[in-house]
Amino acid sequence: MTSESYAYWRRCPTKLMSLAPRRNPAELPLTALVALDEPRLALLLLAVEPRLRGVLWAGPAGSGKSAMLEGYRALRPNTPVFNLPLGADEESLIGGIDLEATLQRGERVLRQGLIAKAHGGALMVDSCHLLADSAVNVLMSALDQGQLQIEREGVSLQLASDFVLLATYDPAEGQPRAHLMDRVGLVVPMPALKATTHRESILRRHLGAHQTDWDDELELLQQLVTTAREYLPQVTLSDAQAKELSTAALALGIEGHRADLFAQHAARASAALALRDSVDSTDLQVALRFVLLPRATRMPATAAPPNAEEHPAQGPTPADTSPNRPDDANDALHDPPASDDQNNGQAELPDADALTLEQAILEAAETQLPAVLERLAFTHSRHSAGGSRGSTEGTRGRHVGSRPGELRDGKIDLLATLRAAARWQRLRQGSRRVKITLDDLRLKNFRSKAGALFIFAVDASGSMALNRMRQAKGAVHALLEQAYVNRDRVALLSFRKQHADILLPPTNSVELLRRAVDQLPTGGGTPIAAALVTALELAEQAKRRGCHQVVLVLLTDGRANIGLRATRQEVDNELHALARHVASRGIQSMVIDTQRNFLSQGAAQKLAQGLAGQYLYLPGAKGEAIAAAIRHGGMMSAAPSTRRAV
Amino acid sequence: MATRNPFPFTAIVGQEELKLSLLLAVIDPAIGGVLVTGHRGTAKSTAVRALAELLPPMDVIEGCPYQCDPVAPAALCPHCQGQRNGKSLRRPVPVIDLPLGATEDRVVGSVDIERALVDGEQAFSPGLLAAANRGFLYIDEVNLLEDHLVDVLLDVAASGINVVEREGLSIRHPARFVLVGSGNPEEGDLRPQLLDRFGLQARIRTIDDVSQRVEIVKRRLAFEHDPVAFAKKFQRTQSALRKKILAAMELHAKVELTDPALILAAKLCDRLDVDGHRGELAVSRAAMALAALESSQTATPAHVRRVAGLALAHRLRKDPLEPASDDERVLRLLAEMPD
Repeated sequence: MTSESYAYWRRCPTKLMSLAPRRNPAELPLTALVALDEPRLALLLLAVEPRLRGVLWAGPAGSGKSAMLEGYRALRPNTPVFNLPLGADEESLIGGIDLEATLQRGERVLRQGLIAKAHGGALMVDSCHLLADSAVNVLMSALDQGQLQIEREGVSLQLASDFVLLATYDPAEGQPRAHLMDRVGLVVPMPALKATTHRESILRRHLGAHQTDWDDELELLQQLVTTAREYLPQVTLSDAQAKELSTAALALGIEGHRADLFAQHAARASAALALRDSVDSTDLQVALRFVLLPRATRMPATAAPPNAEEHPAQGPTPADTSPNRPDDANDALHDPPASDDQNNGQAELPDADALTLEQAILEAAETQLPAVLERLAFTHSRHSAGGSRGSTEGTRGRHVGSRPGELRDGKIDLLATLRAAARWQRLRQGSRRVKITLDDLRLKNFRSKAGALFIFAVDASGSMALNRMRQAKGAVHALLEQAYVNRDRVALLSFRKQHADILLPPTNSVELLRRAVDQLPTGGGTPIAAALVTALELAEQAKRRGCHQVVLVLLTDGRANIGLRATRQEVDNELHALARHVASRGIQSMVIDTQRNFLSQGAAQKLAQGLAGQYLYLPGAKGEAIAAAIRHGGMMSAAPSTRRAV
Repeated sequence: MATRNPFPFTAIVGQEELKLSLLLAVIDPAIGGVLVTGHRGTAKSTAVRALAELLPPMDVIEGCPYQCDPVAPAALCPHCQGQRNGKSLRRPVPVIDLPLGATEDRVVGSVDIERALVDGEQAFSPGLLAAANRGFLYIDEVNLLEDHLVDVLLDVAASGINVVEREGLSIRHPARFVLVGSGNPEEGDLRPQLLDRFGLQARIRTIDDVSQRVEIVKRRLAFEHDPVAFAKKFQRTQSALRKKILAAMELHAKVELTDPALILAAKLCDRLDVDGHRGELAVSRAAMALAALESSQTATPAHVRRVAGLALAHRLRKDPLEPASDDERVLRLLAEMPD
């Protein structure tokens, strides 16, 4: 598709019409980016149809994401484009009172926020998975409604907020919130560049060989977008095609109805880009790739609406007949192989009808889905520790009120100070408009929203694994029940054979826990080291989001027999080196042994010592008891304690 | 800036449970509000925002920031103080949005800073709770609401009075409203106290019928293309529904709950082990509102059955090891129980 339309651009009739745009020569132009045809196409689609609301690019650092962001600026030169810094809070997004001007003029003066400034244009965010939740919330409602209602700090108004969001994230570092992904039309994995030739040509281009060629091409693209925008209103999409897109969305288990709408927009934009006045099958493919596949929560099993009973992989299927049981999108992204093992086998289609386009789509989906998911997926890559350009380190949480105080004790809440001063203005008449005394000073109270993160790592090796999982689920549930006030979150992972799997990414939702896999495979070796590494990664991610208390709860007998790299004999040494590292990262640990096993206690205790944590022996304990022990343990000092049951 | 045209309520495809619970809450505000939970992008907020258009207008005292009823002005209203002076004015029932980033001063109200600075006067500038009095207060993503705002809401929802004690102000004003919240439980759970406040919970799902899905997109596109023309197409059904609501509101006062219906409601709550008595009340009230909506003067066990899931499912104790959803537990029990 891409090469085809590229050929079309070359023949594009409007080519000769424009003047070369002025551009900062230091920036690499969009057209100079190698091997980015897919991401570039997404950008063009968005430039043609802003109702797609935005593009989300997934890719590791240095894969050209930021250049794509800049590319939009080049494609739509006359629209406002603003950068949204990661540290942005609600105030910088939606504006507020301009206090200096307010004080000077003695009347309320408002300051525009980024969303108001970007109206009619675009907002760009690099590494959007690191945005503060409060900022994401504001973005979401602005994107959704095209207008934003503001009710804060003495300001009450409605803003038009018609903009597109250009965002990137690094899957190795974490996922943006699913709700944000839902509101952005196009999701594109950045190709990982492996081939040497690619690397070479990238280098060459960076060294700046033929500027003028690119200028020509950029100009061409600009013209193409302009022409396509004129075409767009005339592009037709037939009812049958609409039906095909919706069928595909349904078969892929996509949640909600926004995707259907985005898919139609994308197909039309694609047709407009090819200067066609009706949507054809290549356009449907584009919609499938950029809109539907990235949101898939499962493999399409058959062309007919799938029945819940046909999906044994989906855990405890409720008796209701809702076929698209909402498998969490994250789950699917975390663990693509599990679902495709299951379904690749049942590729035969039940209807012997002629091969419709609908089926073609589904087939394409089957072949493309795993690859797309893999590229999007949250992978535990080794280099995830580096490469983070933005860090929310030092976030002060949300401003939730104010208190009287002295200047040196905190950040001044000017509005509250002003309010405090306001009531005395009659008495303090003077030459200046507003008189403020030290008594009026109000300081901001902040509350960090991030509570603690509890990571449960459950040993799924051995015959007692299911028991342990039940206990862990019970404990997680009991903790979540009490987590509302503290905003604590819980993650659940299991380990067996060679690796650790995240069953429940950090969450405070009981709903998700209920769905976290029940019938997990058990048996095999015991890779405690792998569990520690995964837990460390989760902890680091949580820290980047401003959560600084991490508690690791290991449910195991402690007898590790599989290392990361170590040979059989070295497993213990490796594990204890890792354990010390975990302790040095400030993670509180707890090792809970719930089995009556007279051989194993030494190992679990030793592991707890290595982690500088606590060891608890709670044979046959219920989930509530474990949760109580964890809470109790968390409050006590970090000194190792042992409780023995008879 | 003028608000945009809302998507017409009757143009929403499917999601009958959601529509029904909103209508019931309109007919009887005492039911205690509606919580809408479900997947992303399933018309949760569209439906709530569309509700405003259907509400019959109400009479208010002119100039009263709390929309006092001219017939019975609130005694504690700082503006009217129970007096029937002032002109009566017909106004749409307020549907107030409480956006997520809202700060406490705008929610409960605070000193009017402009007047304080310009005139040196200490005046109260009423907040969203005042604006929502006698109307609806809508919170999208209610499960993500800041805790300190949840505390405020819980207080006000229980008492119907907003007490402001800040910056030297001391004000009490009426704040009775129907709370409507929406959210996706996967993003985080709702505080149990707040959950309990909601009379009904509508759970909505992604529609799995292809032709309905196509219709959804079609209507959305038509609406985006020309909201006014689109609204015109649904004018008839909208006004028919408006009339139906009005008739139901009038009939509602006369509806009686039959004894078998009452007993069924009580038994259900007992068997489901629902804490407190809010459950029985919500089921009974919802059943009566449903009867009114269907122009029937008596609420029967059949009415109770149809609203039991809405009124009770969110009050069940959570059990992580129970594979069935709360809705199914209610349905299962209903199937076991004779009228």
